[in-house]
Amino acid sequence: MDILFLLIPLAVVLAFLIGAAFVWSVRSGQFDDLDGPAQRVLLDDDTLH
Amino acid sequence: MQAALPETVHIDDLVAPEAMCFHCGETHSANPQWRHVVEGRERTFCCAGCLAVAQTIDAAGLAPYYRQRTTAVRPAGIDEGKYEREAAQAAAGGLVVAVAPGRHEAALLLEGLHCGACVWLIETWLARKPSIEEISVNFATRRARVRWRGDAQDLASVLRDIAVIGYRAYAYDPVRREALLRRETRALMLRMGVALLASMQVMMLAVPVYLAQDIVEPELKSLLDWASFAMTLPVVAYSAAPFFTGAWRSLRARMPGMDVPVAIGVAGAFAASAWSTFTGRGDVYYDSVTMFVALLLVARFCEHRARAKAARTIESVARELPSTADRLRGSAIDTVAADSLVDGDLVRVAAGASVPADGVVVEGASSVEEALLTGESRPLRKLVGDPLLAGSINRESPLVMRVTAAGRSTTLASLARLVERAADARPRSVRLAEYAAAWFVGILLIVAAGTALYWSAHDASRMLPIVFSVLVVSCPCALSLATPAAMATAAGALGRLGVVAVRPDAIESLARADHVVFDKTGTLTVGRPRLAALDVQGRLDREACLAIAAALEAGASHPLEEAFRPFGGIPPPDVHDIVAVPGEGVEGRIAGRRYRCGRPSWVGEIAYPAPAPHAPDEAIVVALADERGWLATFVLEDALREGSGPLVRTLRELRMTVTLLSGDRAPVVRRIAEQAGIVHWRAELRPNDKGAFVRTRQQEGARIAMIGDGLNDAPALAQADVSIAMGDAAALTRWTADIVVLGDDVRRIGDAFAIARRTLAIVRENVGWAVAYNVVAIPLAAVGLVSPFAASIGMAVSSLVVIGNALRLAKG
Repeated sequence: MDILFLLIPLAVVLAFLIGAAFVWSVRSGQFDDLDGPAQRVLLDDDTLH
Repeated sequence: MQAALPETVHIDDLVAPEAMCFHCGETHSANPQWRHVVEGRERTFCCAGCLAVAQTIDAAGLAPYYRQRTTAVRPAGIDEGKYEREAAQAAAGGLVVAVAPGRHEAALLLEGLHCGACVWLIETWLARKPSIEEISVNFATRRARVRWRGDAQDLASVLRDIAVIGYRAYAYDPVRREALLRRETRALMLRMGVALLASMQVMMLAVPVYLAQDIVEPELKSLLDWASFAMTLPVVAYSAAPFFTGAWRSLRARMPGMDVPVAIGVAGAFAASAWSTFTGRGDVYYDSVTMFVALLLVARFCEHRARAKAARTIESVARELPSTADRLRGSAIDTVAADSLVDGDLVRVAAGASVPADGVVVEGASSVEEALLTGESRPLRKLVGDPLLAGSINRESPLVMRVTAAGRSTTLASLARLVERAADARPRSVRLAEYAAAWFVGILLIVAAGTALYWSAHDASRMLPIVFSVLVVSCPCALSLATPAAMATAAGALGRLGVVAVRPDAIESLARADHVVFDKTGTLTVGRPRLAALDVQGRLDREACLAIAAALEAGASHPLEEAFRPFGGIPPPDVHDIVAVPGEGVEGRIAGRRYRCGRPSWVGEIAYPAPAPHAPDEAIVVALADERGWLATFVLEDALREGSGPLVRTLRELRMTVTLLSGDRAPVVRRIAEQAGIVHWRAELRPNDKGAFVRTRQQEGARIAMIGDGLNDAPALAQADVSIAMGDAAALTRWTADIVVLGDDVRRIGDAFAIARRTLAIVRENVGWAVAYNVVAIPLAAVGLVSPFAASIGMAVSSLVVIGNALRLAKG
């Protein structure tokens, strides 16, 4: 059972890392539009790059 | 977007003829003084302005633009000081946003954007400026977002840089409400996500302890507690923060809301658990705390999304208004900002484009979709002289329109203002629910205190978990969350039907009404004469008579023209020398023969004396004759609207009494009432009589919904419990009604009644459920039969039930 003393803190650290990733993804606007991106693939991109 | 331009000017056409300006395509004198070598060839220019722009583009190495572009650009004049003024105004108006110290951002509206090459040019040109950090141009919306290093006033140099290459940019408000909403959604989503993640982790750590309470070693138990503590801390400090601030705010306002027991419960349970963790003695409730906060936030998130969606139903329309318009000046077309249009401007609306302002068709024929404004999804046929509303979509072929209202004075803008005003006000039911919630919370706190006293005297070790259960299990959500959610969702559902609740209490009053009064025959009829009967008296047949009448009326744009329009001959007969005599009719020559169409006595002057027409006395009789004699008489009647019959049937099915009150003469009213299926009707009433009728019925206990055009009969409309105005959106601002039904499909009124009743029923269901749940759950918790964990689940599920129930309104 001693391994738990390593694994549980590790799980906590991992959870915090996942939380940080989630915060970043929301802040960068990836959750702003939950419907649009699905439709965007059907639209032509008019801009010239 | 190419369709927005009448002709596409290709680069070859621009370069080949030497008499054309290389930059703008304007013809110039045979031997102009402005010359410059671009891409190895000497080009000529019409003016110093174009030369300067072309030199700038060439010097920056952007000359490939001339190969890529498909249309010529007119240079925007460069006026020193103008951009400084505009930048100062934009900064003062909050249009420039400070994104970081020394970094600012603004949304720009671009004029003169024609094709993809323009986007490339602007982006590349601005990206080279050292102060510009980011620039992106959206060709579809003609908007750009620019971020630069410097202060807000430096917007001036951005605007100038854009003008130097021949475009015009304005700072524009990217609908601050939208930005605010996005910030709220993001914050709520973050809080919810963090709480959900933590609750799953904490649950994972808590379950083993529940299952194997006896064999978990104290060291391991301590480790699990510390791990749970670490993951609960962000939930309490961050995710639950809105509950604490909300509780504090509502306490300061002396109106304790549902946040108060939530805040006390969360803070108390967390403090007790933390104490146990630090001292190593006692129980922990981390799993209950995180689960409780997470599920509550899920409920809030659902409510927030539903409300945002309802609010956006019409706001999205305003955002989709085209920001630019193609203005016609002589033969030239300028792309200008839609806001800068003024009355009388001629604007070209390409096929597939949105109408930029209110106006009248002056050229072309097309079908136009006004779904945004009227909820009518079928495209409407628009011919010369027909009105166009900003925000509607031109479906078929290009139109030229004359602007009658632009910017903030369009119908769409006034509609948006009305809706906004109604959304800001809180309906009576919501105020009542908040009031009830405050009482509920007050009583709950007393119950909790009583429970605490009792258990501290009898079994102090159980006091904390039981008080926590009492605080957490209670659910005032039906009052403080679900009622507003139901009302907002109902408003959104009505909005999609083209029914706008202008007053906050309108939905409730509508649901309670049991007596519907139509305040005039015009509400049930189309309000325009239709051909009801035709009597051929001369040598010509039916079709020929109709074709001649239609041609005469069409040529004169006479008010009765509409009645004849469907019968125009193909091809229509050629009419010459048309004279319209006001109040009498129209005279004209077809194939050399003189015809008159109009009042029988006037028409009779050129033909033999009029035969007496056989027609009901309320109808309009129009006669047609030529110099040789009578041809036909037409009987025109105001016909019943298509939906009037079904509407009356729907209202009957909803068990409502339907009455028609009218100022018209009895025969007309009887005919309309019979056609629509209305049993009760009164004719020849003055406005005051209608008001008195409504008052009498109300004294007998009826709740009256009055349906009219909203322009007349103010006393009766004001007297009624709820008034509904029918009509086109153009008259919107003049209306005084509680509810406005856009478009002319009266059947929507029936749907509106149904939605309102369903809303009220759902609010009642929710309140009933909440009362039953709390009456059972709180005593059970107080006597110690509900564990804190079960309490958090019960409360959260109860919230989700009432909110889910409220959101059912959004469907169907």
